[in-house]
Amino acid sequence: MKRIFGIAAWIVVAVLGAGALGSIALHRGEPLNATWFVVAAVCCYLVAYRLYSAFVAAKILALDDTRATPCELHDDGRDFVPTNKWVLFGHHFAAIAGPGPLVGPTLAAQFGYLPGTLWLIAGAAFAGCVQDFVILFCSIRRDGKSVGQMAREEVSERGGFIAQLAVLAIMTILLAVIGLVVVNALKSSPWATFTLAMTIPIALLLGVYLRFVRPGRVLEASIMGVALVLFVVVAGQWVADSPSWSRVFTLGGVTLAFAIIAYGFTASALPVWLLLAPRDYLSAFIKAGAIFSLAAGILFVRPQVLMPPLTRFVDGTGPVFAGKIFPFCFITIACGAISGFHSLISSGTTPKMILRESHARFIGYGAMLLESFVGVMAMVAACAMPPGVYFAINSPPSIVGGAGASAAATISGWGYPLQAQTMTDLAHKVGEITLWNRAGGAPSLAVGMAQIFSSTIGGERLLSIWYHFAIMFEALFILTVLDAGTRVGRFMVQDLGGRVWKPFGRTGWMPGILVSSAVIVALWGYFLYQGVVDPLGGINSLWPLFGISNQLLAAVALVVATTILMKMGRLRWIWVTLLPMAWLVTITMTASYQKIFDGDPRIGFLAYAKALAAQIAAGKIPVEKIAETQRLIFNQRLDAAVTAVLAIMILVLIVEAAVDWYSILSRRKESMLHESPYIATRWAANFSGVAHGDD
Amino acid sequence: MKHAAMATSRFLRRFWRGLREWCGDAAYETYLLSRGRHSASCRALTPAEFYVEQLNRRYSRPNRCC
Repeated sequence: MKRIFGIAAWIVVAVLGAGALGSIALHRGEPLNATWFVVAAVCCYLVAYRLYSAFVAAKILALDDTRATPCELHDDGRDFVPTNKWVLFGHHFAAIAGPGPLVGPTLAAQFGYLPGTLWLIAGAAFAGCVQDFVILFCSIRRDGKSVGQMAREEVSERGGFIAQLAVLAIMTILLAVIGLVVVNALKSSPWATFTLAMTIPIALLLGVYLRFVRPGRVLEASIMGVALVLFVVVAGQWVADSPSWSRVFTLGGVTLAFAIIAYGFTASALPVWLLLAPRDYLSAFIKAGAIFSLAAGILFVRPQVLMPPLTRFVDGTGPVFAGKIFPFCFITIACGAISGFHSLISSGTTPKMILRESHARFIGYGAMLLESFVGVMAMVAACAMPPGVYFAINSPPSIVGGAGASAAATISGWGYPLQAQTMTDLAHKVGEITLWNRAGGAPSLAVGMAQIFSSTIGGERLLSIWYHFAIMFEALFILTVLDAGTRVGRFMVQDLGGRVWKPFGRTGWMPGILVSSAVIVALWGYFLYQGVVDPLGGINSLWPLFGISNQLLAAVALVVATTILMKMGRLRWIWVTLLPMAWLVTITMTASYQKIFDGDPRIGFLAYAKALAAQIAAGKIPVEKIAETQRLIFNQRLDAAVTAVLAIMILVLIVEAAVDWYSILSRRKESMLHESPYIATRWAANFSGVAHGDD
Repeated sequence: MKHAAMATSRFLRRFWRGLREWCGDAAYETYLLSRGRHSASCRALTPAEFYVEQLNRRYSRPNRCC
């Protein structure tokens, strides 16, 4: 009887999800309520988790709870720590959820709400979650080895090296693009700049407290820190209202870019306990709070989604970034649907802390579903504002013709009515000088979040506080990714440099620390600067580049996963990783080709370089701008070269893997699986992690 | 009523423990427990030493995603 009720309940969930999804897909005309998005997403996730992840766990991976996991075999209380599955879920989710699932869907909203929402849900269920889950499983079976080490052992020596280079490349592009998002969020905003600047002394204070006063008491320090951060969000208004202080904190794009570059270098070179770690604690608490508040706010307010399901920009002429839905929607939304970077987390800390193999399903597959839900909420927040306002915030001045009446006329001409006064009033309400041309996703997401939050608490009176809280939340955890990423990049540079000259590889050697920090900061700093001075807004070239590199890394992870499944003899089910891999290779190679060779200067790097060169040759560029234009030409060619190198590296890896697969299938080569030997667990079936004697 | 109060209290205790483990507040206690399980012979790190050593390890590999 219980079984029949269970089946009936799942049928209801499936029908409800299909109905909600159908409403989203087929709805035309009147605005749609956001509740449909929540219902569709949650029901699809439940069905995917209940059926598809169970199928992967049982049929393909054959998870075995009698097998000891790395944390049991190597328990050292440091890296290998048996951890309760709910706690580990929280750890894993906090590690994978960065700015990507918030910014990507916000940018992709230019196509309308439909393509992005469908890709977020389907991409997560069939690709992203599968990647995270399978890589986590593979790493558990290999004592917590990284995806690079697994590529080296299971595919080829060169595969591991390619994976390492791909990680460094993606890290460089990622740090540049998120730096650009912060620059565009803080540009000409004294309130936001002051708030974010103040998080640095707060983090330093916390660092000293945690190191010398109460070592390791993270919770109490974080509570103090969060209270101080909330105070500076409010205090930012006083700074913005003071003419003299306001001048100090009103900074242009280039100044902000150099400030962020200097910050990245400092955070990477300073002891980690002083600045980087306390910022991370602050960011983790505020991130968790803001994400859950956004979910609660959407459920409480149930806003109308004003963006149409498909906009006219599906044809590739979008103002936020150029390019058609295929392939650009699928690389713009990387995190939230599938992100190669997750494979680094799934083969990093998490496999060393997991108690049982069966927990990999809940943690690997489940946490990615939650990240996808964050992406859907970001999509709702972006689409809940009038489309005209969305395009006014996210379009660069070179596309809409600056700000004010002429820009409003351009946007209205696209079919999204907008009055210049609407933008003036909105900027005034949120406490900003202007909201025109603030490309990057963060300001429009902050406007969307602030409208949802203020409809829940405080009304329009608190709109400016909520807006700056949202900006602070986005910028704070973006900078956390930036400083942590710079430090990891520094270690990678030291590792690579250490192969050439051994002393350089010593992580505690100060000259090595300074040089490697400078190298990694110079790498991403160059791309950041390039994005800031780009007349097309920077996001147009850097975000697709980031999406391509991230998805290529996902393709690497899926190549490794497919090879391992093949060696495990799971040929019948190989499509589970092979199809997402093929899809990723298709979209990334198409996007790479278009970004390099497309004839439209807004899409193709080389076409843009050629158009600029033609303008110089025709004498259309003023003499004083020629040097700047030549730099732009060089940057476009550099972007084309980076894209080509990334694509070639991955193609080499795929060809190597395909040769390996052929050898295994044709029995020319013995299939060697580098799994750790089976050791039976000695833990009782109900053991749920380390007990601290308080339960 | 008493049963509900006990269940709530148990839930809150678990939640508190989970929160401390999640944010790293309980990391030193976990380390000492692990040492106890393996009767390690070398000197145990002090809370301050453990804190710094743990951070240096954690932030030397990708631990925050995009």
